[in-house]
Amino acid sequence: MTQHYYDPRGIVEATALDAATRATSLAGKRLAILDNTKWNAGKLLRKLQDGLLADAGLAKINYYRKHSFSMNAATELLDEIAANNDLVITAIGD
Amino acid sequence: MNSVTDSPEMNAEDLIEWYYAQGYSDGLPLVPPTPAKIDAMVKALGGDPSFKECRVPPRWGSLTREALAINMVMAGCLPEYAAIVRAAMHALCDPAFNLNGVQATTHMASPLLIVNGPARIAAGMNAGMNAFGSGNRANATIGRAIRLILLNVGGGWPGELDKSTLGSPAKYTYCIAENEEVSPFVPYHVEHGYKAEDSTVFVLAAEPPHSVTNHVANDPQGILDSICSAMSTICSNNAVMGGHCAVVIGPEHARTIAKHGWKRHDIRHYLWKNSGNLWKDLYFNDRYGKIYNRSFPAWYKREPEAMTPIVPSPDNIHVFVAGGEAGRFSAFIPGWGKVSSPVLRAIDPGAEPAGGPVCLDGTCQL
Repeated sequence: MTQHYYDPRGIVEATALDAATRATSLAGKRLAILDNTKWNAGKLLRKLQDGLLADAGLAKINYYRKHSFSMNAATELLDEIAANNDLVITAIGD
Repeated sequence: MNSVTDSPEMNAEDLIEWYYAQGYSDGLPLVPPTPAKIDAMVKALGGDPSFKECRVPPRWGSLTREALAINMVMAGCLPEYAAIVRAAMHALCDPAFNLNGVQATTHMASPLLIVNGPARIAAGMNAGMNAFGSGNRANATIGRAIRLILLNVGGGWPGELDKSTLGSPAKYTYCIAENEEVSPFVPYHVEHGYKAEDSTVFVLAAEPPHSVTNHVANDPQGILDSICSAMSTICSNNAVMGGHCAVVIGPEHARTIAKHGWKRHDIRHYLWKNSGNLWKDLYFNDRYGKIYNRSFPAWYKREPEAMTPIVPSPDNIHVFVAGGEAGRFSAFIPGWGKVSSPVLRAIDPGAEPAGGPVCLDGTCQL
């Protein structure tokens, strides 16, 4: 007799992407900070910007805010970040 | 195809353990699907097992009719529930609901499903005694099928893509029907423009119900003041960022309210007008710094003595009548906040809100 087994997970059609190559130095880099608009994330990221990163030799820090912490960042915002930055730091900060 | 064949036969007990081992369960035993059960469910869904109904975030798995059928059978559903579960999944995958966020949030929100119209009766749903509780196959397994889909297709596994700090019992099943038969008011879906003979699903990302006891009031104000008290906490997501909420009025309370001539809109407006928090209480008298709160509408007064509404409009309070005929209880159900909007949707794809003048309970809103 034949036994039937079922997989309930549906179909995933997206293709997985590899992570970008990690940076080995901050010197001369353009850094994006992406704030998800949560109260504690904002505090953490601003302290990061004003403290730890102030003397890192970065060429520039660009501070961005998502429209809502519960939604993906808008495509236009992601395009802007990708076009004008070498690195991105974000945080959940619930 | 999802089925795997030509493997050694197992007895039912072994199969249950096999499905546990695959990681497909919500923690309770799954009903092992058989070809006959899957075929019957796919047929009830309209055939074509590879047809994609919707994509379920945050994993963004495509929910084929076969996958929908598998999860429904595993949950214990009958084919008679097929149209309800499908409509609920379409409602949940409406972008306005933001299922991606609901699944991944640290909050305890879970989708609440409330069914209106004849489909409730056909499926044998419980809208009466213990409506939110155990003991009814349709309520239990329709809600469970939705949860299994959110886990298996949507990837909302605890600790992986579901980051809820506490979760809630509503993440097993959270599904009731409105008790239209004992309600003195028009059904919820009729209030929103559907015909009484239409059937609808309403979904809201929500906390579990909070009981409202009032055994003394013999007028609408007293009963609704108790509900206002349940609404006026500073610690719900509604309190800190608005959004939508639901109120489920027990039949005894509903009869008392209706006896005084109050209609659905009177209830919603009274609740909205008489609930809320002082701005200074919401923000602890600025003990942790002055807070503007961009999540609230721009028109809210950000002053210490200003009363801050629980939700921005009476229309954001969704009123249903449900429960057993005895007992002076109602329930307040806080939502997840403004980051998700509830969705009302017809179960029959052809049914749409009629539009035009709205006349409810003999009162026309011009």
